[in-house]
Amino acid sequence: MMHRRQVLSLGISTGIAFALLPTTARSADDAQPRFRIIDTNISLFRWPFRRLPLDDPDALVKQLRSLGIAQAWAGSFEGILQRDIAGVNQRLADACRNRAELIAVGSINPELPDWENDLRRCTEEHNMPGIRLHPNYHGYTLEDPGFNRLVELATSAGRFIQIAAAMEDTRTQHALVQVPDVNFAPLVKLMKVMSGARVQILNHNLRPPLLLQLGETPGVFFDTARVDGTDGVPQLVQSVPPGRVMFGSHAPFLIPEAALIRVHESGILEEASLWTVLSENAGQLFGNTAV
Amino acid sequence: MIPADIQLGLPLPEQLQGYRIWDSYFTPAYSHPGPDGSSELFTDIERSLPAIRKGQFEKLCYFPHVGTGTTNDAEYEALARSSPEMILKPLKRWPDLLLGMIQLNPHNVPASLDAINRWLRDGPMLGVYFPGGGPGAMTCTHPNFNPLVVRLAELNGVIMQHTWFKTGGKQGPGESTPAELAELSARYPQQKFVCAHGGGEWERGIRAVRNSPNILVETSGFDATAGFIEMAVRELGAERIMFGSHLPSRSLGTELGKVIGADISERDKKLILGENFRNLLRPILKTTE
Repeated sequence: MMHRRQVLSLGISTGIAFALLPTTARSADDAQPRFRIIDTNISLFRWPFRRLPLDDPDALVKQLRSLGIAQAWAGSFEGILQRDIAGVNQRLADACRNRAELIAVGSINPELPDWENDLRRCTEEHNMPGIRLHPNYHGYTLEDPGFNRLVELATSAGRFIQIAAAMEDTRTQHALVQVPDVNFAPLVKLMKVMSGARVQILNHNLRPPLLLQLGETPGVFFDTARVDGTDGVPQLVQSVPPGRVMFGSHAPFLIPEAALIRVHESGILEEASLWTVLSENAGQLFGNTAV
Repeated sequence: MIPADIQLGLPLPEQLQGYRIWDSYFTPAYSHPGPDGSSELFTDIERSLPAIRKGQFEKLCYFPHVGTGTTNDAEYEALARSSPEMILKPLKRWPDLLLGMIQLNPHNVPASLDAINRWLRDGPMLGVYFPGGGPGAMTCTHPNFNPLVVRLAELNGVIMQHTWFKTGGKQGPGESTPAELAELSARYPQQKFVCAHGGGEWERGIRAVRNSPNILVETSGFDATAGFIEMAVRELGAERIMFGSHLPSRSLGTELGKVIGADISERDKKLILGENFRNLLRPILKTTE
């Protein structure tokens, strides 16, 4: 099995020869792409409201592997509602340690006392390259001082920050846990004073003009997990500067095949653009993270 | 390598062909076909073609507005009533690909009955679609549905009802839930009904129609949430599930992904992706032969 660091270096190297195999005259065994797809948005463990077919880490990794996904950045569903975040992140780190494809991305809740200690453990003890935030489930906005402080500390530690815009369509949420999508408007202003910060927005369905404003903001990246419409991903890629859009599936809550097909189904993105979305751009978010 | 040849996440083309995919919920220019009656419809169909080809679809069923008051555009409504050739344009342009089921406005029963006779009795449309929004939306338990369902049953027409269970309640007074469709279906046990979108919040939607054997569930219109198809097969049986693409506003990935990514048998996938819709259409296709 390939060591995680090797996978990572493959993933972020540019100019790697790759080919997306033609679908004619080949067997199902040949159906894997020759380059390494990086999924920047998966989660481990149990979704609080439903059992998911792939909520066992081994089953999930097996499925991702079968789809040609060589590396997946994993948050934890437990980090959404649980308050013992240190325990949440410990379990996540343990689950990722022996699964070469998984990169652990710890949860931080800046509304909890001593969250700085959770961040320190993520970076120093677990050596996680980034953190994942759920402002809507944790009850704060992107204007709150605690969020600003968190971005500052994570950036100074060389970590990227993922912010989940949503975890589920508001129309289908549990009646007792109704959570609006995160408002990203304040991020435009904040990023101007946070030199070097790298923030990826997950599970979004952003529209102009805010999408364009965020796209013009250095350090803001986007995943593809809930970008729908047959040409939704190409439209997103064309709306923001190069390098900002990266593949994310939101598996196992969403079916990973769905996100993969959506990237190429319209035939609009050329091969080189597909490569950047599926693999190369993730390297830009990863940056020089020393893990 | 050209992007059209890339098949990431999809089964091989020959496997997709083997499913014989018939899409029961194709939504080009869903709200309005364009001021001339077809331009936006054509644009959206062409926009969908790469995905249609990639998915190896055999047929897609769309829902034309035929002048019963399902748009807010009085000029278009008049044009649709006076120019049936305009309605037929897409079917003539893609005769081997497209099927049609007309949108009805149950607020206007006489106009809807006329449209049923004009487009189903005389062909070539195969059924009707009751929308969940816009001026044609009406909750399907309303008595106005009764004469329409009776006439549709006489003609073997397929009945598709837009449904959603939304957290926080309905967003419009004309919306219908799967529970309300179950109520309507109980009045006509011999007639089949299609519960579009499985109610959106499908865990409740599936339960609401579970005891209504004359209701089939359509699969499109919400995120590719894992476990939907598995629960639907377990609770309803694969024979009561019908694939819809919702292209182009949704995607091949989201909608086909729900079925091909589900942990169900290949036989069940084949039923869901095409066979069930063909079975539903068989009576009216026979009468129009």
